[in-house]
Amino acid sequence: MSLLRYESQVRAPLVDGTKDYHQVTEDICRPVEAKPSRLWWTGFLISLGLLLFGIVSVTTEVIYGTGQWNLNRTIGWGWDITNFVWWVGIGHAGTLISAILLLFRQGWRTGVNRAAEAMTIFAVMCAGQFPVWHMGRVWNAFFVFPYPNSRGPLWVNFNSPLLWDVFAISTYFTVSLLFWYSGLIPDLATLRDRAKLKWRKAFYGAASFGWTGSTKHWQRHESLSLVLAGLSTPLVLSVHTIVSFDFATSVVPGWHTTIFPPYFVAGAIFSGFAMVQTLLVITRKVLALEDYITIEHIDVMNKVIVLTGSIVGIAYLTELFMAWYSAVDYEWFAFKENRLNLNSPYGWSYWLMMGCNVLSPQIFWFRKMRRNLFVTFFMSILVNIGMWFERFVIIVTSVYRDYLPSAWSTYYTPTIWEVGFYMGTFGLFFTCYFLFSKFFPVIAIAEIKHILKKNGENYKAKMTKEEEDTVTQFGEHHLHEH
Amino acid sequence: MAKKKFIVGSFTDEAVLFPAVKKVRRAGYKLHDVFTPFPIHGLDKEMGLRDTSLHTAGFIYGITGTSTAVGFITWALTIDWAINFGGKPYFALPAWIPVTFELTVLFAAVGMVLTFCWLCQLAPFVKKDHFNPRSTDDTFVMALECTNATNEAEAQQFLQSIGATDVKVEVKETGWWLGSYANDKMRFEKN
Amino acid sequence: MAIRSTFTVPKRFQTISLALMAFGLLSIIGLWVTSGSSDDPKEQARFWASLLQNSVFFLLVVNASMFFICITTLAWGGWQMAFRRVPEAISAVVPVIGVICGAILLAIVFGDNHTIYHWTDAEHVQHDPILSHKKGFLNKPFFAIATIITIAGWSLLGYKMRQLSRKLDNEPLATLEDRKKYIFNNTVWAALFIVLFSLTVMSSIPWLWLMSIDAHWYSTMYSWYTFASTFVSGIALITLFVVFLKNNDYLEYVNNEHLHDLGKFMFAFSVFWTYLWFSQFMLIWYANIPEETIYFQPRAHGIYKGIFWLMFIINFIAPLLILMTRDAKRNYGTVALMAVLIIFGHWLDFYQMVFPAVSPNKVPNIIYDLGIALGFVGLIMFATAKALTKAPLLARNHPFVKESLIHHT
Repeated sequence: MSLLRYESQVRAPLVDGTKDYHQVTEDICRPVEAKPSRLWWTGFLISLGLLLFGIVSVTTEVIYGTGQWNLNRTIGWGWDITNFVWWVGIGHAGTLISAILLLFRQGWRTGVNRAAEAMTIFAVMCAGQFPVWHMGRVWNAFFVFPYPNSRGPLWVNFNSPLLWDVFAISTYFTVSLLFWYSGLIPDLATLRDRAKLKWRKAFYGAASFGWTGSTKHWQRHESLSLVLAGLSTPLVLSVHTIVSFDFATSVVPGWHTTIFPPYFVAGAIFSGFAMVQTLLVITRKVLALEDYITIEHIDVMNKVIVLTGSIVGIAYLTELFMAWYSAVDYEWFAFKENRLNLNSPYGWSYWLMMGCNVLSPQIFWFRKMRRNLFVTFFMSILVNIGMWFERFVIIVTSVYRDYLPSAWSTYYTPTIWEVGFYMGTFGLFFTCYFLFSKFFPVIAIAEIKHILKKNGENYKAKMTKEEEDTVTQFGEHHLHEH
Repeated sequence: MAKKKFIVGSFTDEAVLFPAVKKVRRAGYKLHDVFTPFPIHGLDKEMGLRDTSLHTAGFIYGITGTSTAVGFITWALTIDWAINFGGKPYFALPAWIPVTFELTVLFAAVGMVLTFCWLCQLAPFVKKDHFNPRSTDDTFVMALECTNATNEAEAQQFLQSIGATDVKVEVKETGWWLGSYANDKMRFEKN
Repeated sequence: MAIRSTFTVPKRFQTISLALMAFGLLSIIGLWVTSGSSDDPKEQARFWASLLQNSVFFLLVVNASMFFICITTLAWGGWQMAFRRVPEAISAVVPVIGVICGAILLAIVFGDNHTIYHWTDAEHVQHDPILSHKKGFLNKPFFAIATIITIAGWSLLGYKMRQLSRKLDNEPLATLEDRKKYIFNNTVWAALFIVLFSLTVMSSIPWLWLMSIDAHWYSTMYSWYTFASTFVSGIALITLFVVFLKNNDYLEYVNNEHLHDLGKFMFAFSVFWTYLWFSQFMLIWYANIPEETIYFQPRAHGIYKGIFWLMFIINFIAPLLILMTRDAKRNYGTVALMAVLIIFGHWLDFYQMVFPAVSPNKVPNIIYDLGIALGFVGLIMFATAKALTKAPLLARNHPFVKESLIHHT
């Protein structure tokens, strides 16, 4: 086996500047060890305020019941399910980055995976709120689990997609958490060994599980990461697939279509990457981590966005085409009258979705745009809005005018408590993210060190000889050295 | 408690570490462990450690999850309380695939992480000794265990000669927190 | 034996490929005599359906090689460079099979027999409200134009990609700037191919060529499903050629690591195919709408259920269990065997996509179809080998090729 750490100089470095292992540790630990900045406090307090608003809204709902949400319509769930699916979708990029890109050996994942995985976990936490609090009698929430009960025992309905959701989301949350934390352990050990304050020693000592960096432990750790990645990859796909089953197993026009599973997954990755961009564009600036989350990383993630956006676009057009091709009147009505028709009550949302998700990401075909931070940030917000409206389109336009005209009703406006609930999940998400970025290393230190000598700028610069070698020379030097 | 003596050398470059491990083993010293700040591919082989079979354990946990799910759902929905859901057969296998899959993954992942923690003896609040705190930063730390046959001064000099900096002798209380490769076929080659 | 850098076709290989082609031709003649020349339109259709199934399947499979090249180019992959010339050579077969396939498709569409494509029967369409609704899409001129443009587009863009690769053989890129420009140039053309690919294989073409056989039925998943089927077979085909060349002392720099990755691709995309298969099947099964379940009735429960479940086992259970371990993916024998099995399994998949609508009352004698398939295999062997001789087996001046040498998983 060749020990040479070479990659072509055509590829941009993934770690900028002159770095050695110690410098990497210093750079990434600095924000954790420094006092929180005023900016951090401001953001944290705003998030906390939002969270508080959410808590108040949910409390009102628990006390007075779901009537607070004024849900007496056929599409009463419109707002909450949209929020639920939107958050779950965002919770996909993290595990995708860490798992699938690990399997595909994409080196750039190391700069962004830790933060993205954290984001995944927080987004899934937010998503989980919606079905749980919507139960009304939330103290009975445990009914969703199959346990021996006094009702017969009457088991839960394993044939129901909503139950699949329970299993999918809880499994996804658990596995993502394990994957994330097992990757964190070595880095927490680094913080522990650097800690000077007493509480830091105690906190990181407890959190790092007594990690030593023994070779045997690393060997097992590598095996664990690889298998968890292998398990997480189909798991990521399964979660949004199952969310799509919630709709697609029904016979509602616009919902029952076989392309839903892969298309939901592509959409989830799409919105997840957009949220990663939103967070990282800010994080790298505020925490001064531009050397590790480089423009190259932003560029590559924008490529993923244009790719998944286009996949989603093909799926939209496929659906639209099939609605016509199927010659099913109801299906075609849902598309033609409820969606395409700009004069219909919600036609605008369909075109907004098309504009944000399919058309606007096409500017990322251009390298200049992909590497522009303002464009990236703006687009990431636009994509998230678009993906929110995708779920809105699917849910609302399909059911507000379905088979029975007597059940037709237009969408209602969410009450202040529903808005508060949604804002509250933002509060939860950002509160968690602020705490994470303060107390945990936002970049995987050990993984950066692992790729440093291959992808670091100063190491790559020394590879000129290898770069200029012909294949034959290169092969002679590096393949037969043992 | 019994005490053990270790000779601890630090390395700053993995390119020096690799040949050093080879030389140490060839010279017949008892290699206690090498602590590194990040995983180094091939170092385990170089140290003569056998491959981990953690993934096999994962596979077993996984199929346990599969059979638990299929077995339980079949029992609950066809034997214990069979209900007609939407005209589907009682044994509605396609509808059970999602839950079966999730439980497979859940069992495999949770089982593997717990096994990993158990094998490496990692848990919250555990404290372990790894000789040099810089080994989680930028230093590769090699520890040799002194046996009756070991000449300390000679061993120290040997470590220095193969590229180690900062070589010292440390005495530690033995215990599980030091880790042990007794079961991990380590071949101590003598020339 | 020393490693050789240019390929010369071994005598035996040549003989076998020619023999297979002859065998295929015999099968076609045999099927013509027993079915094609019959007066019964159903029997005639059975002959044409066999040609359709085989030519479309193998065309999509060889075209998957170009998809593999383009997608790795776009992802800036380096590991595959050691054997990059193999998918290039396979994709050179696209125009050959493309012409055959295009001719067969046009012959079926413009012929008098409307058993395969009901919608070509103007008389029938008039009385069938669903088919007359679909006239805007299912009509002869559109079919012909789309088919010709598609096959020509794949061939031309594929040719361009191969040219870009060959150009470097004689003129190495001197500076880093040149290399960057070269990579950029490659990604532009690869992106164009991918766009064409998504407008054809990932959407419209499977609807036209295959789904319109069951002209009333529809499924939005259909094209992505077809893509998954042919992509995994395409990877298997690449693997087979890599193993063959390696066994004959070519491809100096290819080792277990590359084989391992190809094995991973076969494993992963077998699972991916199953995922799409399950999603399509389960949703239709669950919603239980007669217009949709009619498709699976003859396949999963009717006379085709043997083939249906056999292909499911071959395409999912076998790769899942056999290719799961690391050692299996690094074993040339196992990987080659699985590659053959996977191609056969997906050929069966296409068989059950085509025939239940054409021959609903009895399963045709599959021996003929297998014979014709072997003919196509011979053709692919022959044409790929010929394409392999035309250029060195290593794209030695590609900027990423050295990464492939020290690649390890």
